[in-house]
Amino acid sequence: MARSTIYAGLEIGTSKICVVVGEAKRDGTIKILGVGTAPSSGVRKGEIVDFQKVQMVLNDAIVRAEEPSEVMIRTVFLGVTGGHIRSLSSRGAWRLPEEQTEITEDDVESAKEIARHVEIPQENVFLHSITRQYIVDGQEGVRQPIGREGRVLEADYHIIHGVRGRIQNAVKCVREVPLEVEDVVFTAIAAAQVVLTKEAKQQGALMIDIGGGTADYVLYEDAMIAASGCVPLGGDHITQDIAMAVQIRDRYAEELKINEGSCNYEDVEPDDIVRVEDDNGFMIAEVERAFLNEVIHMRVREIFEQVRMRCDKHISRLAAGVYLTGGTSLLKGIDVVAQDVFQRRVTRSGSAPVSGVTAMFEKPQFSAPIGLIRYAQILDQEKPFMSPLLRLGRKMADLLSAVT
Amino acid sequence: MVEYDRHALKETLEPGSLRTCIVGIGGAGGNVLDRITLDRTVDAKLIAMHTDIRVLSHSMAPHKVQLGIELMRGVGAGGDPELGREAAVFSREQIREVVDGHDIVFLCTGLGGGTGSGAAPVVAEIAKGTGALVFLTATMPFSFEGKRRLKQAEDSLDQLQKRADALILFENNRMGELILPKDGIQKAFTQADQLIAQSLRAVSTILTTPGLVKLGLDDLTAALNTSNGRCLFGFGEARGQNRGQEAVKRALKSPLIDQGRLLYQTRTLLVHIAGGESLTLLEVDAIMKQLGKNVPDQTHILFGVAVDAKLGDSVCVTLLSSLGLAQLNTLVAVAPPSEMLPLHERPMPSVVDLIPKMDTAELKPEAAEPAPAPAPAPAPAPAPTRRGTSAKASASPPAVPQAPLAEIPVAPTPRPAPVKAQPIETPKPLPAAVMDSMDLLFPEDEVATPSNGSHTDFPLKDSAEDDDLFHQAAATLDKASQALARSTPAPLEEEEPWAEDMPQEAVDALSEETAEEEALEPVAEPPPPAKPKLSIEEFVPIKPTVKPAPSTGLAAVVAARPITAPIQPVPQEDAAYAPPSIRPSAPSVATTTKNQGNGNHAPGNGEQTAFRFGNEEERGRFKQTEPVLADGGEDLDVPTWMRLKRKLKR
Repeated sequence: MARSTIYAGLEIGTSKICVVVGEAKRDGTIKILGVGTAPSSGVRKGEIVDFQKVQMVLNDAIVRAEEPSEVMIRTVFLGVTGGHIRSLSSRGAWRLPEEQTEITEDDVESAKEIARHVEIPQENVFLHSITRQYIVDGQEGVRQPIGREGRVLEADYHIIHGVRGRIQNAVKCVREVPLEVEDVVFTAIAAAQVVLTKEAKQQGALMIDIGGGTADYVLYEDAMIAASGCVPLGGDHITQDIAMAVQIRDRYAEELKINEGSCNYEDVEPDDIVRVEDDNGFMIAEVERAFLNEVIHMRVREIFEQVRMRCDKHISRLAAGVYLTGGTSLLKGIDVVAQDVFQRRVTRSGSAPVSGVTAMFEKPQFSAPIGLIRYAQILDQEKPFMSPLLRLGRKMADLLSAVT
Repeated sequence: MVEYDRHALKETLEPGSLRTCIVGIGGAGGNVLDRITLDRTVDAKLIAMHTDIRVLSHSMAPHKVQLGIELMRGVGAGGDPELGREAAVFSREQIREVVDGHDIVFLCTGLGGGTGSGAAPVVAEIAKGTGALVFLTATMPFSFEGKRRLKQAEDSLDQLQKRADALILFENNRMGELILPKDGIQKAFTQADQLIAQSLRAVSTILTTPGLVKLGLDDLTAALNTSNGRCLFGFGEARGQNRGQEAVKRALKSPLIDQGRLLYQTRTLLVHIAGGESLTLLEVDAIMKQLGKNVPDQTHILFGVAVDAKLGDSVCVTLLSSLGLAQLNTLVAVAPPSEMLPLHERPMPSVVDLIPKMDTAELKPEAAEPAPAPAPAPAPAPAPTRRGTSAKASASPPAVPQAPLAEIPVAPTPRPAPVKAQPIETPKPLPAAVMDSMDLLFPEDEVATPSNGSHTDFPLKDSAEDDDLFHQAAATLDKASQALARSTPAPLEEEEPWAEDMPQEAVDALSEETAEEEALEPVAEPPPPAKPKLSIEEFVPIKPTVKPAPSTGLAAVVAARPITAPIQPVPQEDAAYAPPSIRPSAPSVATTTKNQGNGNHAPGNGEQTAFRFGNEEERGRFKQTEPVLADGGEDLDVPTWMRLKRKLKR
């Protein structure tokens, strides 16, 4: 059955707002139908600060995505991020009733319930609770426990949570456009779906999506998510560092970073001077390349160190190494810094090939929004397939039970 | 008529909590007590004592003691402390009865009159006898009340000082003139009462509420420990957005602190922050940062935080300190901030005083001082600097921009490939005092001065370009570091008072920025052969992440310095180029800051405020956002290089 569904992914990023319309096919492939981007404003560190500005830009982006795809976007998968997002892993153990030896769906639910019962700050809500694995009588790595014999069932969960209000704000902002939000997804999770291959996840990989305002990371081990989170530092911080060091406006600093910036400051000729010109071509500042690069280097290193600090215990087990994606991963020499910080193989990567108007969309900037489509697809696949007849049957059963 | 339900204030004393009572003695004390009663803010037994039955009957306090019923027959003491004292002695049984059984007794009274001055010492004595801690809040009479009353007040104060555990003294005069010079006298009195009521309330809160960071009696007495001192008290309460900032602002506005100016002289400052359950660490941090700007670095800050559910969503900031009367009176006149520095740090009158001292006596002790503890700034260290710069400023204004510039070559030093150059630097240790004073750099500056002319148009010359670039960058860093110096959260940071010193220098200094550039150039020029390899490393001697071996970097110099410091005499030229990191308190960064300071301030005070980066400024475009705090509490929104510099400076 080659049924396909069209999804729209929306990422409100710090530097750009991006809408991707994609067709998720039943066979697991994705076809990108249209992408609309607009330079963002009113977003800081991945979080919306100015609703009006965002909505204005968002409208632009949506129109740009709708035109080529000839799809009317009504609902979106919304990617969210922000410094408030935290993650934790939790296990819940459920002992089966005495007389019962086979694990049933109810037992799984109970184990899940216990696993999900974790202490998170009161104002926080679960963004994702991902089943990593089930453990049956100490045997790890069970994917499908139902029907197995066992005494103790443990559910191993990875829980990503964030401050309710701040997630709600993003949703609210999009709803006012108006667009319906089908699901809220932590962008790193989305991006990882297209950046990391199955093998990489199996071997152990850390994906860092360094965007304008945040560096979101996900770490996979044994094909299971082991850590995730957000370091609210990103390209904007690099720009700001430059702006303050060179004493130019942010706009010029941004240009300077994109055109001239690099993380490599050691092998630079000492008399290599970079000139900053304003719009009229007048020189407004001069900076030594080594100095510029060092400023960048320090910030980039710090971002990586922050990520490393948060998932340090897993780093040594990453066979597939570190994958960098996101706009800031285009910075020259960033892989060298990452290599230095993590001591692991570093791959700079966009999304895995997808069909459609792909040429530009394999760029790392688009990993997250494309990932949203993939995420939607995965969600869809995980839903048990039900034939229309079966569905009708269920409905009838529900009705009957309601009556009796 | 004020409606007030007296029964509403039944004390409910939990067995474990401290039992406090507040005793208002005499007219003034009664007024304060009324104020407290009306505010219903303090959880204490309130007792009014007076000789005059009519006044007493108007009092709203739930407990009243009429002093000397038989002796006075309900008539006031008529301004005679003797009578007041005798009346209290007559009623001592009653007094003991009401005061007994409390852990802390607050007495508030107005000194100078009959009952207040006379009875207060007796009550204090009795209270002390019951084993309670006795706190006295007293007002000194207005000067228009005459010298006799002042004398009475002082006599009484002498007696009280022996009996009370802590004394908070308010001077009506200062409150009068500072609050509302034009307003009606009644209002002035009311305001004064209110202030005293607030102080009582604050002190009792500090002492009684279990704090997260508890302030105890010892802290309180430390803060108030000045002989014949007057209390500096500031209290601010605010709610809503920015409540922390607002509360500090209000606290600093307190007339007794004189817009925070008087805080510049305090040695000990007690800060108490109380808030409801919504009080966040961030707010506390912000409050302390803001306060840090108003307090000299040497000040010992006693800091307390308490969460009190009663406060709801408001935050209270209490500042408490004391200042000797003499100090207060001499400095009360609005003086430029530089004069607000602690006395021993104020600029010296002339260079002449300084130089001989530098050469002989100060040289060794000062240089030796950094050795044991490189990180914290030895208190005397900043003094010479300040003296040096400001003295210079007055002595030879044109030299000012250059003198500090002589030190800027922090960066040029490593000019030839850093790794090689720095070891060369190492054997040039300078006694800290030499660097500090900068006076010894004078000759060097003068050498540099003549070449000024050749470089007037600075960006044009090719050879000069690198230098210019460097200067720009340096300037950037300087500004930043200056900002750091101003805004660093640690209120004991050393640059602070110096920064306050600036405006004065600025007045004397040259006013054109180009002048600074010109001046910069010649100094930076001398070693032109190698192009400056400009990198953070050079601004910043130690860069742990990049150059792990400190022996190669300027770090080595820093490390070596204290050991070799006192011995080697150095050619003055080198002095200019040696990394000024000798002074542990002000390594390269700090000295460039100095330069920056002078340069920036040249155009005048207005310019200074323009460059006055708060911490907010450092955060640049992220200033409106929630800070990203690392483990150590650093704000990651501040540029990495800036923070690194700050770290190194410490």
